Parts: sequence; C-alpha cells; structure tokens
Amino acid sequence: MDFLDILSEKAFLGREFLTWLWFKSDQSAGRIEIPGKKVVEVIFLDRMTLDLSDADTPQTVTLQGEYSGLREGLCALREGKKIEEARISVKAADNDFAMILKGTWFSFGSLRTPPVLPASEADEEEPLEGAFLEKVSLIEESMEIVDSLFEYFLKLRTSDRWESEELPAVRRWVESTSG
Amino acid sequence: MGLLSRSVSIMRYRVRGELPGSFWDSVDEGVKKGAFREIDTPGDEVGMGWVAMEDFTDRDFPGASYLRGNYVALSLRVDTIRVPPRILEIQVRKESAKLLEETGRQRLSSAQHRELKERMKETLKRQVFPSIQVFDLIWDTSKAVAYFGAHAVKARDRVESHFKKCFGLTLVPLIPYIRATELLPDKDQQQVLENLKPCSMAR
Repeated sequence: MDFLDILSEKAFLGREFLTWLWFKSDQSAGRIEIPGKKVVEVIFLDRMTLDLSDADTPQTVTLQGEYSGLREGLCALREGKKIEEARISVKAADNDFAMILKGTWFSFGSLRTPPVLPASEADEEEPLEGAFLEKVSLIEESMEIVDSLFEYFLKLRTSDRWESEELPAVRRWVESTSG
Repeated sequence: MGLLSRSVSIMRYRVRGELPGSFWDSVDEGVKKGAFREIDTPGDEVGMGWVAMEDFTDRDFPGASYLRGNYVALSLRVDTIRVPPRILEIQVRKESAKLLEETGRQRLSSAQHRELKERMKETLKRQVFPSIQVFDLIWDTSKAVAYFGAHAVKARDRVESHFKKCFGLTLVPLIPYIRATELLPDKDQQQVLENLKPCSMAR
C-alpha cells in the first residue's frame, strides 16, 4: 500500500483512538492505567471536532467551550461520528502537557510544554544548547506519553478483547449518557 | 512560531534511507547544498533553503552550528512574492493598450495576453517586498525522527522535497497507521492491523 492509500484507507485508526481515549478518560475520571506500564492522566479540554468519515459529503461538528462538549459530543458519536481532533491535556509524571491531537495526521497542534529554564539560568557554558535540549526533551516526553496510550489502544484493537469487551463497553457508554 | 516557543505545532516524521559515506560529512554537505539562496526563475518563490534556527539571515552555519548533540536543528526559510492582483491588472491593461496602439490591432490573442501578464508580473516582482516564512525542523539523528514546526500542506510539501533533495532521505509522516506498525512488533498483531476495518462505536 502506498502512502496515499494508507492515508485514506486507514485514517479511521486515529479517529477511533481519539474516540476510545475520550471514553477511557471519562470512565476513569481522567486516570488511565496502562497495564504493566504507568498511569496517565488524560483530560479532554475545551475543543473537539467530530466527523463522519464514511459519508460522501463531509459532516463535521466542532464543539468549543469548557464542559459543554460531553452532551453534544456523545450525541455526535451516536450519529456515527468519531473524533477527528481534540484539545487534551496529558500527564504521566510531573510534567503537564496540553495539545490539539489530530486523528488523521497524528500531528500535535498548539503543544504546550512546561516552561524551560531561561537561557541565562541553564547551562552557563552553552546556554542556547541547554535550553534547546531541554525543550526537545519535553516535546519528546509529550509524544512518548501519547504513543504509550496509542500502543495500549492498538493492543486492545488488534485483540479478541476488542469485540468481546472493549467495543461493547464503548457502545454502552455512548448510549448510557443519552438524553 | 518556532519549535522552541511555548506553544508549538508539530508534524512528526520518520526519516527513512541511508546516507552514503561518513554520516556527519553527508549531513554537512546536505545542509550546505540546501542552504538558503535567492531564486531567479519565474514564479512566486524568490528564495528558499536552510538557515540557522536562531537567525534566519545566517545561511553559512559556521562550525556546523546546526548541531546540538545528536540533533540537527535547522529552519527552512521560504521567501515568496505576491504581486497584488489589482495592481497587476492595472499594469496589464496599460501595457496591453500600448501594444494595441503600436500594432494597430483590435485585441491580443489569449496567448499574447498570458505572455504579457507573466512579463508584467516578473517586472512588478522587483517592486514588492517578499514575505519571509521560517519553519523549524529538528532532526533527531539517533532515532531517525524529525519534528517539523508546521502543519500546512504547502510547507510540508516544501520541507519533504527539500530534505530529499539535500540528504537523499525520505521524510515519512508518522500518521497513525505507520506509527502503529512500529509500535506493534508482533507479526500476528501486524497482520490483524493490516486487515483492520473501521468499526461503529455507536450501536
């Protein structure tokens, strides 16, 4: 499969991941335990875009504003839409990150890392290099956290447990919060 | 906003391919080969290439200044000129009227009109300041990953083709499926992944 085929045929993977992530976060008050690894705090913030990827014409819903998303978002999920992008915060150890994670491209928009030390307070011999390495290490830490959540999802999605346990639980969640 | 700003937008790439000969010599050669230079051919782009991340006027990289540990830190500078369409229209009309008067003809053919428009555009380009865009790229050579500081399709196309031209390496966007094949090393899981179809998350 060439790149463009993968992009169009497998775009659902990122959307399903974000939708599942919202379910997981909502079910566990934001604390997702990755078996054998760590606990990651995931909070869905004030912005989310859902779409119907299989439709002939694009059908997109964008939700903005704190706490307003749950009801409308679940309503969109019941119509068969999935999350294409969402602003989330993640935290695995001491560091907190916020970002807009995009489903199709798996890209990171408006990624906010904790502040790095000003160059003058960092490595005195190589102030610029010190600040650079610290910033890059924070960027990488945020991506590793997202990767660990994605890996958790993939292991479930490619296992028998997906059809027998996880997907029915997601569907129950979508239904149970109706009205 | 650069990659080192508080809030950044990042596209993540896998760097695929092998550099010939000594790795760092090839990197240096690629950076120098693709350093920013003015372009003197028709079109909106009037300059393109690598510059130092902390100074977009530095295209010399003294002492391999792009190196930070295992990382190669560069910015792709793109200078473009856009002649305001209405200014172009006025000039084309003026020039067209002059030509018709000189030749005594009623109208220009569409090919002549197109050629005149291109010529006027190139003349007017010299009177307009370029717009300068700078996009950061951090290449982690130990993990063969690159972080690019923009999502826009045009900027991505530019960096992907410029990177290929300079280093002979391919930047593959780490979209979910490609990242998934890396995160699931187990062959059975890979097979399931390959055959995976979308599922409905509503009943």
